[in-house]
Amino acid sequence: MNLVFKLLFLGLALTPAASLFSWDGAVAWSLFNGITLSFDLTPLSAFFMLLLAIGAPLIAVPMLREKSDESAYALYALLLLGMQLLLLAGDFIGFFIGWEMMTWSSYLLLLRSPRTDLEGAQSYILFNLASAFLLLAGMLFLYSITDDFRIQAVDGLLTADKLVLFVLFGLAFLIKVGALPLHLWVPRSYDQAPDLFSAFLSALMSKMGIYGLMVLPLLFPDGFSEISGRFLNGPVAGYVLAWIGIITATIATFKAISQEDMKRLLAYSSIAQVGYIVTALGVGSSLAIGGALFQALVHTLVKLLLFITIAGIILQTGHRRFIDLGQLISRMPISFFGVLIGIIGLAGMPPLPGFAAKYLMYVGLIEAHWLLLLAAMILASTASFVYCYKLIYGPFLGHANSPEAKTATEAPWQYLIPQIILMGMLVALGIFPGWAIDVLIDPVLVGLNMTPIGTPAWNVLATSYGGYDGIAVMGVFATIFVLISGLFFLLRGNMHRAASPYDLSFCGEVPTADTPLHYGAGMGRELRRVPLIGWILRHTTTGFYAGLTRQTQAAAGVIGTLYGSNPQTWLLLAVLIFAVTLTIQSVTGA
Amino acid sequence: MAHYIIDALAMLGMSYVMGFLFYGFYRQFNARVQRRWGPSVFQNFFDNMKFLFKTETIIHGPMFFFGPMIIFAGAVTTVLFVPYLKDSNWLQGFSHSGNLILIIYLLVVGPLGNALAVGSSGNPFGVMGVTRGLTRLMGLEVPFLLGLALVMVQHETASVHAIMAAQTDFAHWNLMTNPIAFIVMILPFMASQHASPFDVVGAPVEVYAGPRVEFSGRLLGVLMTQNMMMTVAKLVLIADLFLGGATTIWALIAKTFALFLLTAAVSTSFPRLRTEQTVDFFWKIPLGLGVIGVIATVWFPWS
Amino acid sequence: MYHHEHCEGFQCEQQQLEASLAQSGNELGALDRLMAWFRQRSLFVLAYGTGCGAIEMRPLMTSRFDAERFGIIGAATPRQADVLVISGYLAIKTLKRVIRSYEQMQAPKYVIGLGSCTINGGMYWDSYNTIKQLDHYIPVDMYVNGCMPRPEALIEGFVALQQRIAAGTPSGFERYRANIDWYKANQRRVLGDNMPPDYTYDWYHAGGVA
Repeated sequence: MNLVFKLLFLGLALTPAASLFSWDGAVAWSLFNGITLSFDLTPLSAFFMLLLAIGAPLIAVPMLREKSDESAYALYALLLLGMQLLLLAGDFIGFFIGWEMMTWSSYLLLLRSPRTDLEGAQSYILFNLASAFLLLAGMLFLYSITDDFRIQAVDGLLTADKLVLFVLFGLAFLIKVGALPLHLWVPRSYDQAPDLFSAFLSALMSKMGIYGLMVLPLLFPDGFSEISGRFLNGPVAGYVLAWIGIITATIATFKAISQEDMKRLLAYSSIAQVGYIVTALGVGSSLAIGGALFQALVHTLVKLLLFITIAGIILQTGHRRFIDLGQLISRMPISFFGVLIGIIGLAGMPPLPGFAAKYLMYVGLIEAHWLLLLAAMILASTASFVYCYKLIYGPFLGHANSPEAKTATEAPWQYLIPQIILMGMLVALGIFPGWAIDVLIDPVLVGLNMTPIGTPAWNVLATSYGGYDGIAVMGVFATIFVLISGLFFLLRGNMHRAASPYDLSFCGEVPTADTPLHYGAGMGRELRRVPLIGWILRHTTTGFYAGLTRQTQAAAGVIGTLYGSNPQTWLLLAVLIFAVTLTIQSVTGA
Repeated sequence: MAHYIIDALAMLGMSYVMGFLFYGFYRQFNARVQRRWGPSVFQNFFDNMKFLFKTETIIHGPMFFFGPMIIFAGAVTTVLFVPYLKDSNWLQGFSHSGNLILIIYLLVVGPLGNALAVGSSGNPFGVMGVTRGLTRLMGLEVPFLLGLALVMVQHETASVHAIMAAQTDFAHWNLMTNPIAFIVMILPFMASQHASPFDVVGAPVEVYAGPRVEFSGRLLGVLMTQNMMMTVAKLVLIADLFLGGATTIWALIAKTFALFLLTAAVSTSFPRLRTEQTVDFFWKIPLGLGVIGVIATVWFPWS
Repeated sequence: MYHHEHCEGFQCEQQQLEASLAQSGNELGALDRLMAWFRQRSLFVLAYGTGCGAIEMRPLMTSRFDAERFGIIGAATPRQADVLVISGYLAIKTLKRVIRSYEQMQAPKYVIGLGSCTINGGMYWDSYNTIKQLDHYIPVDMYVNGCMPRPEALIEGFVALQQRIAAGTPSGFERYRANIDWYKANQRRVLGDNMPPDYTYDWYHAGGVA
């Protein structure tokens, strides 16, 4: 029975792939009043369906290791169904249904974690419901002016209407991607969710917000620049969006550096990475959109890899904080390589594909002449090196800081298989960035009526601003690495390994097991001495929300004084006014 | 293929020789400013050879050994992706397969790889050094890339070759046509060369040698070698971008030496800044200038 | 412990010192001569400020005496250093750190004893908590006597050391490896149970005794 359920679940995880490859032709289902529910696989939704198709089975494999859990499987089924509905929907009704299914099933999955506390669960559902209601308001507003729910370009809107639509939909999707200051639910839920479900939340569900943001320009025939004109070489509305994205990225990066828990660090890093995508979407040129798609792809792969690896570490050691781990490199070598490849992708280092994504986004910003945004983006992506280093140093290097870390063994094979597949995908994408452009990204750009980026060969990333050759970079680096290591081994003479981990030059002193040698948790603490970073880290959005709560309560108090002590009077008054209005209307025949 | 190999070897040899001679000059220069004789101009070569000939080298696990190999591979890759000469088939390496943004990122690949080795040594002083280095990088990279981005916007390309080709004569050097970009990026550039006053990362004695605290013998020799080659690659890159590149080797040496002399003059004159002072300085002065530069040259296209 | 049968006590020490002086570098090959030349041209100094002699190290490195013109420059950690300068008397408490630092240096490595205190205890000859002869505990390559020796004397000591390195004379480290039992016994005599851990000379247990 157990096995049957597991097989069913695995099959379920393959459904996005099935719907991606077997979908042909649009489906329309007529509802009432001439409103039809339509479903179709556009190139854009196919791209995000691909992310789902990659991610769902890779998360399912490690989940199969545990005892079969039918209710979790059922919720996953709902979640996957909701996300596929959302992606396939050709109108806002289907979109909204999918969105709600995704929200509720993920909420119930989150609640199943023993670590979830009231605050985390409440913030998750409140923010996501706010997002859903903003979406609902937006689509009803759209219906009220166009009599149509379909997702398509609408002509002849007033500027005010466009702005309202832009703000309503924009806020709905920005909550989902966790833009500042609407990110409050992200670190809590990613932290408290079951370890593997965190991978799902970060890698796949945050991309649904990105999908929404990419659907948004479809409503306006001329993209964002139609809303409020242009600034330099890009749209003003996009400029605002881009700043929201980059401020999110910068602040979340500094927050990530100051975290002491692996999953919280990854949560803030997700906020930051998705912030880059929002910035690139704001630019809106084909280079930048290509960069955004590339970043979405890389971020999905990287976060799947990192969250699955971290889940493996937590499974084997039972510890999540940097200060409790250390020196796992010799005990969990494959996990070490998983995190290594993951952080190289996260930091956007060549020759892995994170660099290709960063390159496209940078070039997009340069092309738009938005250099201040570029500077802010460089700040965020350079600062991310610190948390990347912390993420690999804390668990894997340094000294083991707990009995569990001293005796841990490599994660089970169910965790290693997805890691190895993802590492392979990342390395292959790094060597062949042109392949991703040619096969995955250009069809989407063509589908969005934009100039495709194009590529002369699969190993070359080419733009009008110059490009690079993945094989050359990877080849030169690997050749030199092998040559110099080989040379060193030939000449190595008397190279010997220290007989004890405590054989350190420690100012002549002899460190012992009691000496605090692991620097995992303290790393980044000294950054607070830089005035700007110190200022950012001293201020939290929790304070903002506390202030908001106080203001709301004060306002409610003021309104409450109007209400008095006998509500009957007010109800009577309301009924009377209603009756009078009705009477007058019926008398005048309006 | 043979052409590529000879070319690559020539670039590496040239970077190494120029590297130790420049550093030897720096030590002489520093000594003369301090009114002493100073070591021979070949002293860095001697030091490097001494380390490579050490009979003992201690390592702390495989990653500790591979770190210096990664940083060396990163340095060589950087050298090979920077075009050394303009309008020539020689000393080009693989620069046609790369671009400016790639080179900037290649500059930091190696140090990050080495940071893994430092971490695996288990010496907390080394990791503190790495954190100092990453913090400084965070400070310097923003104005550095903003200065280069001003050049990329000016020429509408990220290709070093195209930027070099556009600077036909002295009046068209980016130093003359876009001086503000040069001023914005020159101090961060010095910091990226580990020059004083921004050298707190590896400052010996006071902070126990920084990231290099556990490296000894041959591994230290490899680290020294790559540092000298990387320095030359960075100097050549800036000469390509702002001083019009070079058509002959002598012009290349002259231009890089001029840049190096500027760096040396600044670093002998100013006392060392703490890490957070460095970052704060970069985010105030060069970045502030950069913002003014962007507003003046990009937002208002009167110039 | 002590495996030299043909001598005893002070005789052995005298023999050891003389034996190393007798060797010359004539039998070196070309590559060895080149390596030796590079080694003598570049000495990184770990100046261990154990006593008052440390005050002489500063003028040595700075403008007045400028040791850098001989390729002599300070190193921050024992890992990078070639020369350990013991500058003056050595309290027993400090000896432990000195041994640890010396064993963490990478061969070839040299020791310079600065001042009379390292030779015979100097003015501390009857102190209860300083060692009297440094060479009993770590192998000294070069003594610079005086109380205090001037920086000129120190430079002369360095130059003499450079000549010995260039001539290919084996460094004191070889003596340390060959006579590790004797050195460890001496160290244990003064340090008692408070010995530095033995993993820094792990080659001894690995059977790599030269």
